[in-house]
Amino acid sequence: MAGGSVSECKEYLFKVLVIGELGVGKTSIIKRYVHQLFSQHYRATIGVDFALKVINWDNKTLVRLQLWDIAGQERFGNMTRVYYKEAVGAFVVFDVTRTSTFEAVSKWKHDLDSKVKLANGDPIPSVLLANKCDQMKDSSNNKTLMDKFCKDTGFLGWFETSAKDNINVDEAARFLVENILSNDQGLPHEESNGDRIKLDQQTVAAESKSGCC
Amino acid sequence: MAAEDLPSEFDVVILGTGLVESVVAAACSRVGQRVLHLDRRSYYAANWASFTFNGLLSWIQQQQDDTQPEETQDWCDLLEEGEELIQLSSQSSIRNLQVFTYTSKEDEVEEASADSVNTTEEEQHGPASQDDDSNQENLENHENQEENKENQVNHENQEENKENQVNQENQEENQENHENQEVNHESQEATITEGAEPEAEQPQSPAIPSQSEPSRKKISFAQLEKEGRRFNIDLVSKLMYSRGSLVELLIKSNVSRYAEFKKVSRILTYRNGEVEQVPCTRADVFASRQLSVVEKRKLMRFLTSCIEEKDDQSAYNGRPYLEFLRDQKLGENLQHFLLYSIAMVTEDTPTEVGLASTRNFLRCLGRYGNTPFLFPLYGLGEIPQCFCRMCAVFGGIYCLRHSLRCLLLDTATNRCKAVIDSRGQRISCSHVLLEENYVHERKNVATPPRFLSRAVLITDSSLHGSDSEQEVSMVTIPPITEGAPAVKMVELSSSTMTCMSGTYLVHLNCSSVSSAYQDLSPLITTMFSTPESHDQGRPSVLWCLYFNMEDGSAMEVEGHDLPSNVYVCSGPDGELGHEHAITQAELIFHKILPEEDFCPPAPNPEDILYDGGSAPSSGPEEEPSLQLEV
Repeated sequence: MAGGSVSECKEYLFKVLVIGELGVGKTSIIKRYVHQLFSQHYRATIGVDFALKVINWDNKTLVRLQLWDIAGQERFGNMTRVYYKEAVGAFVVFDVTRTSTFEAVSKWKHDLDSKVKLANGDPIPSVLLANKCDQMKDSSNNKTLMDKFCKDTGFLGWFETSAKDNINVDEAARFLVENILSNDQGLPHEESNGDRIKLDQQTVAAESKSGCC
Repeated sequence: MAAEDLPSEFDVVILGTGLVESVVAAACSRVGQRVLHLDRRSYYAANWASFTFNGLLSWIQQQQDDTQPEETQDWCDLLEEGEELIQLSSQSSIRNLQVFTYTSKEDEVEEASADSVNTTEEEQHGPASQDDDSNQENLENHENQEENKENQVNHENQEENKENQVNQENQEENQENHENQEVNHESQEATITEGAEPEAEQPQSPAIPSQSEPSRKKISFAQLEKEGRRFNIDLVSKLMYSRGSLVELLIKSNVSRYAEFKKVSRILTYRNGEVEQVPCTRADVFASRQLSVVEKRKLMRFLTSCIEEKDDQSAYNGRPYLEFLRDQKLGENLQHFLLYSIAMVTEDTPTEVGLASTRNFLRCLGRYGNTPFLFPLYGLGEIPQCFCRMCAVFGGIYCLRHSLRCLLLDTATNRCKAVIDSRGQRISCSHVLLEENYVHERKNVATPPRFLSRAVLITDSSLHGSDSEQEVSMVTIPPITEGAPAVKMVELSSSTMTCMSGTYLVHLNCSSVSSAYQDLSPLITTMFSTPESHDQGRPSVLWCLYFNMEDGSAMEVEGHDLPSNVYVCSGPDGELGHEHAITQAELIFHKILPEEDFCPPAPNPEDILYDGGSAPSSGPEEEPSLQLEV
C-alpha cells in the first residue's frame, strides 16, 4: 500500500489493524491516538471503518495511517478478508487487569499471521500493547517474561499503554511505523498499482466519454 | 474470539453468506436493523467463495466428506403455545467433483508437506495435499470400487492421516437426466491424501506426465502448494458489467471502498480452432488486422445503428438474431463476433434479446476500459465479504460455523417468530433469510434443479499473445459440436491477485448438458495441452477441477411452504453478470422494509467527527453495548 513519490516528498498510506479481545480498549487507543480523546464510556462504534492519522514523519515523508478497528460485531473472531487485506502492520491489545485477554493474545496473533502476509511472505510487523497499565497493581513484574513472550510469538516488541492517561500510545505507534517503513524500503515496490480501479463517486463524475461508437 | 451467548432478539436473521444474503444484510444493517448473520461453514461467501490453492483442496475434501446428516434433536421444550417447528437441514449443491493433476509432484515431499500446514487458512481443517495420479494407465486401484449412491466418493481406506482413495468417476448418479454413460469408462481418479503426516506422502508413485514439454520447466504441484496463498480461486465464474447493477450498487453504497478492480483487458473468441481477439471499441476495430476495410466499415455502421431501437429491427422480433445479422449483410467473421462475443447469445436467441444484449454490451464499454467488464482483485469472493464488512460496521453480528436448526412457526399468523440456532439457543426475529441449500426438500419436485458445469484450470501460459501477466480475458466459445453448450471462459493473470506469478487461472462455465467433465473436458483437451491432447504448444494445464453447481436462477424468493416472513436467497446463476443476485437482494430488502432506501451511501470514515466524552465519566470503561444506537 505504499504511495508514490511526489517530487521530493514521499507519501505513504499504511493500513494497520488493531485487534484483541472485547473490552481491552482497542477503540480507546485509536481515539486517543487519532483524536486525542478519551472517554470512560463509549458505544460500539457504528458506521466507522477506520480512523486516519496523518503523520509528518520527517520533512521528506508523510505517512497516512489507517487504523482499522474490528467492528465490535465481528468480535466472535470472524473477520472478513476485507479487514485483513493489504494490512502492513498490527497492534494486538490486551487488558493487564484481565489475564484471559492476555491468554487470547497468541490466538489473535496466530489468526493474524494466517490471514495476512507481506508481499514477500513474511508476517506483518506487529506490536503487543499491554493496555490499561494505569490500573495495574504492581508494575514491577516480569519484563523479561514479556520480552521472551514477544520473541516466541513473533511480536516486534511490547508497550505498556494507557489510553486513559495517554501513556506510550504515541511511542508504540512510532515504533510500529518505523518498522513498517524499514520493511517498505527493504522491499522492491510491488508491480505498479496504476491500473487498479477504485469505484467511487469521483470516478463516476470523471468517467471517460470514450465510448465505442 | 471467545464463545459468548448471542442476544436473544434480532430484527433479521440471515443464514448463509452468499452474495444475495450479504447484500441484504448490509442493506438492513445500514438502515438500523439488528442483523444476525450466520454461516454453517468456516468461511465467508458460501458458493460464491474464493479459496487459496490449499484452501480449495480442503474445500474439495470437505465436499467429499460432507455426507453425514445433521442429527435431529427434540426442541419441543423451546416451543411456546401455538408454535410449530420447521426443521432445517442443508444439502450440498455441488456434484460430480473431479480433480486432475497434470504436473509433476517433484521430490520436495517433506517441504511440500510442511508448507501446506503453514499456508492453510482454516486452522481446524487438516490441510489436504494432493498427489497427482494422472496416469491413465494406472487403473489398478479401480478394482475394488463400488458405486456409492450418496455421492461419488468411495471412502475406501479412509482413516485419519491415511490414504484416502477417492473415486470420482460415477457421474451419472446424481443427475438422472444423464443418459450418456460412456464417460463412466473414462476412468480417471484423483487421489487425495490427508497429509499432515509425512508418511502419508509415501505411497504415491511419482507420476511423470509423459508429454511434458522439455523446453519449459513446469511448475510443480509442490510449488503450487507452496505459493498456495497467491491463489484466490472462485467457485463462481462471473464478471462485473461496468454499468451493471452490482457496480452501481457498490458505488451508491460506498461498499466499493473495500475493493479494487482490474479491467478485463480483452475479449477473445474461439473459432476454427484458433483463439482470436474480438475488436469491440472503435480503436480496436480500426486497428484490427483480421478485418478487411469493408468489414470494419460495416461493423462500425452496425454497432452505431443498433444503439437505437428502430422499426426494421422490430420486424425480426421472435426470429433468431442470427437471421437478423445475416440480413444486415454482415460477413461470417462479423456475425460470429456479434453473435457470440458481443451479444453473447446463441444461434436461436430471438432478435430482440440479441439486440438488448448488444446494447447492454455497448453501454458498458468505455466506462472503465475498452471492454464492458471489471474483475475484482483477489477474486469475486471478495464481493460478498465487502457487504458483510459493511453490515458489521453498522452493527451486524457475524458468526461462522454456526447454523440454524429450526424455525418456529406461529401457526395463527403463518409467520416465523423465532429460530433455534445450532447451539440450541432460541432467538426471536421478525424476518429470516435462508440460502437455498436449506430448502431442498421443499423444492417443487416437478422441476428438477438445473445445474451449471464448471471447470477451473491452472495453466502455465496465456491462450493468446504474450504472457505479460497483465491481461484479463473474457473468452466466448460457441458450441464446439451440435448440442454442446456455449461456454464462457475467463482467463485471469497474476495481476488480478488470483494466481501465482507464472500461472494463469482459467474459469469455464456453462449450463449443464451433462456432468461438468463431460461438458467441458473435450473443449479443454482441444484448447489446452493436457496428457490427452494431441497437439502440444498450447498452454499446459497444471491442475484442474471439474464440478457441477446447482443453478440458482430457478430459485424463487417466496413459496416453498415456508412462513410468509422467510425468504430464500438463490445461489450463483449461470449468467455472466450479477443482475439476478442484485435484483433479488433488492426485492427481498423491500419485502422486509418497503419504505426504506436500499443501501444509501455509508459515510466516509475520514469525514466522521468524534464527539468527545459528552457522557458523564464514572465507572470503568464499558464493553461495547449490543444495543445498537445509530
